[in-house]
Amino acid sequence: MNLDDALQTFIVEAGELLEQMEEALLRIEQTPDDADTINAIFRAAHTIKGSAGLFGFDHVVAFTHVAESVLDRVRSDELRITSELVAIFLSVRDHLGALIAHIADGKEPDDDTHRTSAELVTKLRVYLGPPAPASSQALVPAKQNGTVETQAGDGVGTDNWHISLRFAPDVLRNGMDPLSFIRYLTTFGKIVHIVTVVDAVPRLAELDPEASYLGYEVAFHTDADKTAIEGAFEFVRNDARIRILPPHAKVADYKRLIDELPQEELRLGEILILCGTLTRTELNAALSHQTALADETLSPIGEVLVDQKLVQPQVVAAALEKQKQVKEHKATESGLIRVNAEKLDVHINLIGELIIASAGASLIAQHTAMPELLEASARLSRLVEEVRDSALTLRMVEIGATFNRFQRVVRDVSVDLGKDIRLEISGADTDLDKTVVEKIGDPLTHLVRNSMDHGIEPVEVRLASGKPAHGTVRLNAYHDSGSIVIEVADDGGGLSRERILAKAIERGLAKPDQQLSDQEIHELIFEPGFSTVEKVSNLSGRGVGMDVVKRNITALRGTVEIDSTEGVGTTMRIRLPLTLAIIDGFLVGVGGSTFVVPLDMVVECVELSAEETAASQGRDHLDLRGEVLPFIRLKQLFDIPDPPPADIDFAADDTFDNSNAPQRSGLPSTLLTAEGAAALARDPELAFLLHPVKRENVVVVQYAGRRTGLVVDELMGEFQTVIRPLGEVFSGIDGISGFTILGSGNVALILDVPGLVRRVAGREGRRNIQATTYAMAE
Amino acid sequence: MTKNIMIVDDSASLRQVVSIALKGAGYDVVEAFDGKDALTKLDGRKLHLIVSDVNMPNMDGISFVKAAKQLAAYKFTPVIMLTTEAGDAKKQEGQAAGAKAWVVKPFQPAQMLTAVSKLVLP
Repeated sequence: MNLDDALQTFIVEAGELLEQMEEALLRIEQTPDDADTINAIFRAAHTIKGSAGLFGFDHVVAFTHVAESVLDRVRSDELRITSELVAIFLSVRDHLGALIAHIADGKEPDDDTHRTSAELVTKLRVYLGPPAPASSQALVPAKQNGTVETQAGDGVGTDNWHISLRFAPDVLRNGMDPLSFIRYLTTFGKIVHIVTVVDAVPRLAELDPEASYLGYEVAFHTDADKTAIEGAFEFVRNDARIRILPPHAKVADYKRLIDELPQEELRLGEILILCGTLTRTELNAALSHQTALADETLSPIGEVLVDQKLVQPQVVAAALEKQKQVKEHKATESGLIRVNAEKLDVHINLIGELIIASAGASLIAQHTAMPELLEASARLSRLVEEVRDSALTLRMVEIGATFNRFQRVVRDVSVDLGKDIRLEISGADTDLDKTVVEKIGDPLTHLVRNSMDHGIEPVEVRLASGKPAHGTVRLNAYHDSGSIVIEVADDGGGLSRERILAKAIERGLAKPDQQLSDQEIHELIFEPGFSTVEKVSNLSGRGVGMDVVKRNITALRGTVEIDSTEGVGTTMRIRLPLTLAIIDGFLVGVGGSTFVVPLDMVVECVELSAEETAASQGRDHLDLRGEVLPFIRLKQLFDIPDPPPADIDFAADDTFDNSNAPQRSGLPSTLLTAEGAAALARDPELAFLLHPVKRENVVVVQYAGRRTGLVVDELMGEFQTVIRPLGEVFSGIDGISGFTILGSGNVALILDVPGLVRRVAGREGRRNIQATTYAMAE
Repeated sequence: MTKNIMIVDDSASLRQVVSIALKGAGYDVVEAFDGKDALTKLDGRKLHLIVSDVNMPNMDGISFVKAAKQLAAYKFTPVIMLTTEAGDAKKQEGQAAGAKAWVVKPFQPAQMLTAVSKLVLP
C-alpha cells in the first residue's frame, strides 16, 4: 500500500460519499427534520474534508469547510432545511464531484472551477449569518510565527525554561501518562534537571493505585518557543496545572509561582534551586520582594521580543520514506475486493470455454460407455455448472444504485418542467448483470424523462381529472422467468391511440386502412422518425429518440413493451436477459438441425398428435388443458428439410405405438423405384417399418406473460449454453438470437423466444381485429 | 517493542494515509471502520493508543470510547479523538467519556504523528 493507492481510495470513497450525500439531500426534502439524514449529509462533507486535508488538497478543504459549517448550523437546529438550501447543496455536491474529478485526472483546478467555488461559497455564506470567523482561520493550520518573550532587567540568570507540572489524580485513568509528555519534551530540547515532587503522595493505606500524585519541576533548555512547549502538554491542559516560565523570567514570576502553591512554599524554593533555575540569592530576593512588584511586572515587559520561528517537526518526509519498509499487514477491510471488470470478463469467457470443453468430454465419455469415466465426467459437469453459477453472480449488482440516480433526474426535470413529480422506487435489490446495468442507464433516463415530459399532465389537467396535483413516476424491478423486468410507470394521461395513429399515418409509418392492435399502435412510438413530435422540449432534445431507446435495449437482447390506459397512465416495461454470457439451454431437434431454447422460458413439453393438428383447422392452435395455445412449426418457419433417411431405427420404442396416428416422414420419391413405391402402397405394414414414426413435440415457452408452443421433432434435454453473438451478416435473421457450440463441435442456433412469441401474438392480434371487424360488419 | 495503535474512521482513505504515516514511524496499526467494528477488534491485545473519529455510522466515536474504557485491558489506553473545530459540545461529551486528546480535522499526517508521539512512549 502506498500513497497512490490511498489516493485512489480517496477518489472512489469521495464518489460514494457524494452519491450518499445526493441521496440524502433528495430525501431530506420530504423529511426535513430527520436528524439521521442531516447527519448523513454532514458526515459526507466532513469525511471528504478530512481526507482531502490529509492529501493536502487545500482548495477542496476550503470549499468543503464552508459547506460543512452551514450543515453544522442545520444540524444544531439554527437553520431550517429549505428547498433553496437543498438546491445549493446539490450544486455543492456537483461541484465537489468536479473537484474530485480534477484530482482523479491529476489536473489543477482551472479558473472556471475556482469561479464556481467562489460563487457557491458566496451563496453558502449567506446562511452562515455574520461573517464566520471560524471558517477562514481554520483553514490555516498553526503555521504562523510564534514569538518568545525574553525579559531583561530583573531576570533570573539562567538560560533554561522552567516548567512546573502538577498532574491531576485522574490523569492516568484518562489514558495520559505524565512520563510520555515529559519524554516528548526531549524531542525538541534538553531536560537539564528534573525534580519529582512527591509531597502529595498519601500514606499507603489511602493510596489509590490508579491515581497520579506526582508533580514535576523541570529545567528545560530549548530553542523552541512557549507555544511549542505548551503544545507538548495540550492533551493534559485540563488535567494538570502547568506553569511555564521563560529563560530570564522575572524573579517576581517565580515568586508568583511559589505563591500559587503556598503550602509548598519553602519546598518549592528549594526545588527551584535544585533545578538550577534559581540561585539561593535570587530565591531570597524573590521571597523578600513581596507584593511591591505586583504592578510593575506588567509595564516593562516586552522590551526585548525575540522572534523565533516555530519549528514544525519534519516527520512526514521521514515517515513517507520509511513506508517502503512497511511490512505486510493483514487485511482488515470488510472483506470486499475491488476487481477490474475486464479481468472478470476474461474469467467469464474462460468459463464459457470450459463449459464447451466439458460438454465435449462428457459426450466422449458417453460414447465409450465406461462407467468410471461417465461418473467422473458427470462430477466434472456438475462442478463446472457450479463454477459457472458462482462466476455469473460475481457480475451481478443490485439495480438500486442506478435507480437512486433518478431521484436527482426527476427532481431536476420536474423543476425544469414546472411540474410537481415524485419518484417511487421499488425492487431496488433486484440483481442484474453489471454490463447490463451500465448500458441500461441511458435508455432508462430517456424513458423517465419521456414519462415526465409527455406522460404526466400539467397540474390543472390533473386536478380536473380528479388526480392528485403531484404526479408520480415509479421505477420497479423484478425477476420473471429468466429475465429481469424494469418498469417505468407514470400516473399521467396515457397514450392516445388516435393521436399516435394519426401521427403515424401522417409520417407514413402506418397505412390508414391498416388493422392494428393496441400493442402495435403503442409500438409505433418506437419507430424511427416518430419521436420528432411537435412538442419538442429541451428535455427531449438530447438526440435520443424512443427508437434509440428500443435499439439500445434490443442490443442487450431485451424488449420494451408498453401498457397504457388513456387517462390512467403508462407503464413501459423493459425486459432484459439476466446475463449476457451463459444460460441454461434446452436442446431441441428440428429436421437435421439443433436449436437451443433458453430453459428459463420453457414451461413444459407436450406431444402434438395429428388429431390436435387437425382440430386446429390450420389455425395452429392447440387445446392445452382447456386453454388455447397458439403454436409455430419451426420446420416451416426456418424451412428445414427433413434429414436424409438414416438407418431405420427399429429399436425405437415408440415405433409400434400406433395410437397417436403418427405423421410419417415420406422418403423423397426419387429414391424409390416405381416397384418399390407400389409395394409400399400395397403393404402398410412394410411402409410403417420402413418409415419410422415421428411424433412431434411441442415445447411450451412463455415470455412476458404470453405462452406459445414451438413444434419440434425431438427433445434433447438440458444443455449449458455459452451464447455467441451472430455475425453482422446474420444479424437481421428473425427468430435467432445467437449460436452456441455443442459438445460434439456442431453449431446450434439459439432461438429468439421473445421474437417468436411476439410474432405469434401479432398474428393472433391481427386475427382478432379481423374477426371483430367482420363481426361488426355482420 | 512495537507499539500498537488503532485507527477508527469510516473513511478508508483517511485510515490508509494515517496508517501509512504511523507505520512509517514504526508503529503497528489496527484499522476499524466504525465503533462497532473497533469494539470487535478490541481482543485483549495491548493497544498503546486509540485514534478515533467522532462522527461515524453504526456507533459513533464517543460511544465507542465509553465502551472501550469499560474493558479492563483498555482502561488506561490513551485516546485521540478526531473532530471538527465546530464540535465543542461533542468535545465536552468526549472529555467526560475519557477522551482527552483531540485533533482537529483536517490534519496533516505530520500533525497526527506529533500528537501520537506526545501520548505514546517510544
